[in-house]
Amino acid sequence: MAAAPERMPLHHRMLASVGEPVIHVADTVKGIMRTFALTLHYTLRGRKRWDAIFEQLHEIGNRSVIFIAFTLGFLGMILIYQAGYQAMKITGDLQLLGGLFLQLLLRVFAPTITAMMLATRVGSGMAAQIGSMVVTEQVDALRMCAAQPVDYLVVPRFLASIVMSVVLTIFAVLVSYLAGAMVANTAFGVNFYTFFDMSFVGWFDVNICLTKALVFGATIPVIACQAGLIVTGGSEGVGQATTTAVVNCSLAVVILDFVISGLGYVVLNLL
Amino acid sequence: MIEVHNVTKLHFGRPVLKDITLSIPEGSNLGLIGPGGAGKSLLLKIICGLVVPDEGTVTIDGQDVFELDEIEIAKLRFRIGMLFQNYALFDFMNVADNIAFPLRQEGKLGEDEIAAKVQEQLDSVDLPTIGHQFPNELSGGMKKRVSFARAVVPEPPIVFYDDPTAGLDPVTSSKIFLLLKAMRDEKGVTSVTISHDIEGIKDICDNFALLDRGELIFWGSRDEVESTDLSLVRQFWDGFSDDELG
Repeated sequence: MAAAPERMPLHHRMLASVGEPVIHVADTVKGIMRTFALTLHYTLRGRKRWDAIFEQLHEIGNRSVIFIAFTLGFLGMILIYQAGYQAMKITGDLQLLGGLFLQLLLRVFAPTITAMMLATRVGSGMAAQIGSMVVTEQVDALRMCAAQPVDYLVVPRFLASIVMSVVLTIFAVLVSYLAGAMVANTAFGVNFYTFFDMSFVGWFDVNICLTKALVFGATIPVIACQAGLIVTGGSEGVGQATTTAVVNCSLAVVILDFVISGLGYVVLNLL
Repeated sequence: MIEVHNVTKLHFGRPVLKDITLSIPEGSNLGLIGPGGAGKSLLLKIICGLVVPDEGTVTIDGQDVFELDEIEIAKLRFRIGMLFQNYALFDFMNVADNIAFPLRQEGKLGEDEIAAKVQEQLDSVDLPTIGHQFPNELSGGMKKRVSFARAVVPEPPIVFYDDPTAGLDPVTSSKIFLLLKAMRDEKGVTSVTISHDIEGIKDICDNFALLDRGELIFWGSRDEVESTDLSLVRQFWDGFSDDELG
């Protein structure tokens, strides 16, 4: 008769239930840092494949324009409507609406929401594409042809994402601000001259916006490609990688948003 | 000379390859046979350094595959061609670019020379006009032949064929085996061929190894295969089932 499996003591099971996710998170972070280091290495030292970079610029940038315009445009309209409605109820003064909205857009909404949208549209696509290349042995074939997968697959996406994240964030600011201006004008009668008040916006806001866009642009492809490169199994593994990519990219964007904002205010106070 | 020493690979703590030792002399052609899931493809991937074993070493021409740095492993891989079981053609490139890829990576030839070599390979696999097509436009047999062309275009001295005729009709299978035979006879390559088509590999291999559940059950020359009494080897070689052997 086979021996019954030994049952783990309760405190061991409790420790295991805490330890397992901690180890999983540590492994994921380690993998992402390794891919990031390799990406930097090949970005600086590898051969630049301009055709692949331009292809990715088109894929990440041009094909996200409508998506970003709709998302940020509607977000701008909703925010202005809500903010205007509250301001009307409390003070009735809408003179600061445009200036403060632009500051909020630059500091938080434009880079963060654009990055979230890129994580959803571009990050999932990268993980799925590279993941399916792994399960169909195309990544092994690359390695057998002496091509490094990180150099060949990640670096063009990394460079294109950095460029396009900045460009799309600037575009998002414009679209959201204009959409907000139209709602402010039609719903609350705020004239455009009053709305386009730049007095609240300084170089700090522009710097924070561009820094966030740049960092998010560098983070999303690394996390998404890493999720694709470690796919195991078949289509189920690719599906999991896609989900993992979107979740990890979104988490990274939120955490980095907090860190960059915090550091920004520290720097601002020092100046 | 390829030497595999005491290679063991674990999967979630369970051995999927157990203490495999074999050697493939230069110019010889090893046929790797065995039931599905025996670890044949895994062993092939370990030999070319795509998978790291938990124990053991693999040396190719005296170089330990797992001790090489990035540049050295790249140099070694220029000397190895591999035909993958599932073709592994790059789906974002057309056929001509797929075949040209190893040559471009090597960086020794100009674009005109590469184009000429690609056309030469397409002619040799009897697909002279499909260079502009993409892998998803091809049949299984065509993909295998393109994958073969990509594996051999840099004229590597070592070639690994992972189930080159899986899922193909008998006519296409015989064409593939003719190509493999030509590689052996005309180029004198060292090769390892995994196949379930025993009749096919009998003609192209001079040594055979049988893997079963991760263990090397048998390894020897064709004469030794034909004279062995090991039942699993006999089943594979002669195409009998357990029942027929009694």
